[in-house]
Amino acid sequence: MAISLSAQNIVKRYGAVVALADGNLDIHSGEVVALIGANGSGKSTLSKGINGVVVLDGGQLLLDGKPVQFSSPHAARDMGISTVFQELSLIPQMSVEDNIWLGREPLRSGGLVNKKAVREKTEELVALFEKAFKTKIRPEMPVGWLSPDEKQIIEILKAVSADPRILILDEATASLDSRQVQRLFGLVQKWKEEGKAIVFVSHRMEEIFQIGDRYTVLRNGRTVGAGMMKDLNEGELISMMIDKASVLKYSRKTKIEEVKVASQEVYVKVNNMHNDVLQGVSFEVYRGELLGLGGLHGQGQRELLHALFGDIPFQGSVSIEGKPVHFRHPKDAIKHKIALVPGDRSKEGLLIIRSILENLLLPSWKEYRFPLRMKKAFQDGGKIGKSLNLVMAGLDEPVSSLSGGNAQKVVVGKWLNRQPQLLLMDDPTKGVDVGTKTDFYILLSKLCDEGKTIILYSSDDEELLGLCDRVLVMHDGMIRTELSGKSLNKHQLLTASLGASNESVG
Amino acid sequence: MRRSLWEILNLRYPFILALILLILAIIINLSLQPNLLQREILNSNMRVFLPMILLAVGQSIVLLGGGIDISVGGIVSIVNAILATQVGLNGSPELMWKFVAVSLLVGIIAGVINGFFIAILRLQPIITTYATSFLYGGFALFILPQPGGGIPMDIANLYRNTMPFNLPLAFFILPLVLLAWWFITASRFGRYLFAVGGKPEAAYETAVPVTSVIFSTYVISGFMAALSGIAITMLTGSGNAEIGGLMTLTSITAAVVGGTAMSGGVGGVAGPMLGAITLGLLQNIISFSNINTWWQTFVNASIIVAALAAPGVIDLIGRRRS
Repeated sequence: MAISLSAQNIVKRYGAVVALADGNLDIHSGEVVALIGANGSGKSTLSKGINGVVVLDGGQLLLDGKPVQFSSPHAARDMGISTVFQELSLIPQMSVEDNIWLGREPLRSGGLVNKKAVREKTEELVALFEKAFKTKIRPEMPVGWLSPDEKQIIEILKAVSADPRILILDEATASLDSRQVQRLFGLVQKWKEEGKAIVFVSHRMEEIFQIGDRYTVLRNGRTVGAGMMKDLNEGELISMMIDKASVLKYSRKTKIEEVKVASQEVYVKVNNMHNDVLQGVSFEVYRGELLGLGGLHGQGQRELLHALFGDIPFQGSVSIEGKPVHFRHPKDAIKHKIALVPGDRSKEGLLIIRSILENLLLPSWKEYRFPLRMKKAFQDGGKIGKSLNLVMAGLDEPVSSLSGGNAQKVVVGKWLNRQPQLLLMDDPTKGVDVGTKTDFYILLSKLCDEGKTIILYSSDDEELLGLCDRVLVMHDGMIRTELSGKSLNKHQLLTASLGASNESVG
Repeated sequence: MRRSLWEILNLRYPFILALILLILAIIINLSLQPNLLQREILNSNMRVFLPMILLAVGQSIVLLGGGIDISVGGIVSIVNAILATQVGLNGSPELMWKFVAVSLLVGIIAGVINGFFIAILRLQPIITTYATSFLYGGFALFILPQPGGGIPMDIANLYRNTMPFNLPLAFFILPLVLLAWWFITASRFGRYLFAVGGKPEAAYETAVPVTSVIFSTYVISGFMAALSGIAITMLTGSGNAEIGGLMTLTSITAAVVGGTAMSGGVGGVAGPMLGAITLGLLQNIISFSNINTWWQTFVNASIIVAALAAPGVIDLIGRRRS
């Protein structure tokens, strides 16, 4: 049963983006390895590399000392590697038992599924989490009826039912409550003693320290440290995750140093915003401010921006320049001079097969009357293109011919014609090359200097530090910390994102 | 989470709505035609309903796997055209059974063509089978340009009047189909079918052979359409290349009435069987009430539109409330 897996110098590229430059990880029987890293450090990619979900571009995997290659998750599973996926692999219409055993149903001699064995084995598995479920889980219930934490547990049981030798838990505790996490840790302890090897990917510091035997830290796609968990503390771990040298050397010159001086005028005030994801968010933005939203992925940043844009429903109050508003449709928000730069530009931001001109003028065709004044349209389009420093073959070219950064400029550009006063941006520089990023930062700075207000969510901490006057760090749909001035530094930002206790930070 | 009794009942017995509708249809039909349940009347009804029941079963299996088969009517037409032209009114029983076998093979080939485009080339099921429906329907017209031909009367009577133990023939065929369905659900293939129809990406991640499962649903549907074509040819005894044309819409309606979701992964085969009988009775009711038969198509289409719109409407009401 003893097993060891060694991943050496793993490389993985997605197009031009290098997700993993030099990933190294050693796993042994009877151990829990915590795989740690900040946003975009490559930990998910590394764990996907060792369970066969992604095909590696370089490096090698040694299973029990022998080189192996996994072409698919099935190949890895056949070698005894099971993964609890972050995005669940459950089929909502099917029952709990059918989901757990899908493709591995115990059969009777005639080739038919042995329903009795399925039921018994499922009950055994469900009993592992007996007291941790909020309701009684019956094997015949469709998975779609369960709550997110219960689905997560079923996903864990599905991975465990294959009796793997290596179990990868990729953010498996994200939707579990503390009692369920403790139950899982109890089981991990047991599995460890049985000789299984466990890879634990998590952002939660206290969990990492509670369950990890060893750690491997990733930073910018490289393994930068590995060792025994007991030899270090939270502060040291966080220091290891922080890149000392900035990759990006951009800093806004005209940052507002003290935001809350009396001369600043509140532009938007949000009070106790609630919905499925947001758990009571309150803050103020000042006119001409560049406010950052930070934190781990998916802590409600996207929902906050979309709620402000009238795109998703919420309870709570919002006021603009002191006047209460409640947008139920994006067109209300657009009327109030608000613009949204969505996260998925090819889906939500652009008509990818249409021309650059059409995209730039999409919100403002009304001004060109009937029949459309095309000459004026081309002049205006050219003007916007120039002001954005857009690198293109011509306004007639489809947006799909542009690089990621230039395409994103078009998303911003289409709003500029309408003179927006508040721009909401959802991770606008994701997948944008460094050169164009700088163009983009200059554009944002210019907009702020012109008195426009920007709320920017970014998964890139450097960007938040270099651009923003203030950063609100979000966690579980709430604002955990507000950073500004001197407190707006890498260490504080990462500490707040991870939810580590401040005292342990050296 | 609390679940209503209806949801739990529906989970255990996906055919429950179809059963309630069937009972209603029987009651209404009985009031118009009191001798409905008499042996002879029952047999003459069931032999008319059987082709549609078989077609609905094939359609449901495709729907369960997340697809749709618009070409089933075309396959019925081809089979009818083949039998009517090749066997003829004076053909021998041997010739008949030979071409029954050919018909089944043709149904399977038609299913393989659909499956190739949809499962292997990954084309959209609705567009693909809409196109092949013209291909098959056109081929049927090529074989049999004008209505005519047929099969020997005594062979047709075999289908019409055979009543083992004084019960309609359908009462013996349907349990066989149900047994085959039970066999599917009790095997791994059944689990795969529901998984592929429910969430194909998740099924793929779990090592389910998604492509071959989707492929096989169209082959099964083609086979069932051929059976349906054989049954309807024996029922009418004559040939008409356009006979299958209107059957496609009814087969989808029967599946939907029978609790099989058009979005895939939910339902079964027993419900669609009851659904097909219900729609047949509806046709009876319409003709007994002296209503224009156009209403039959109208009712079928309305049921499908309602079934498609229901999730959206429920969602809309939910949004209004919040």
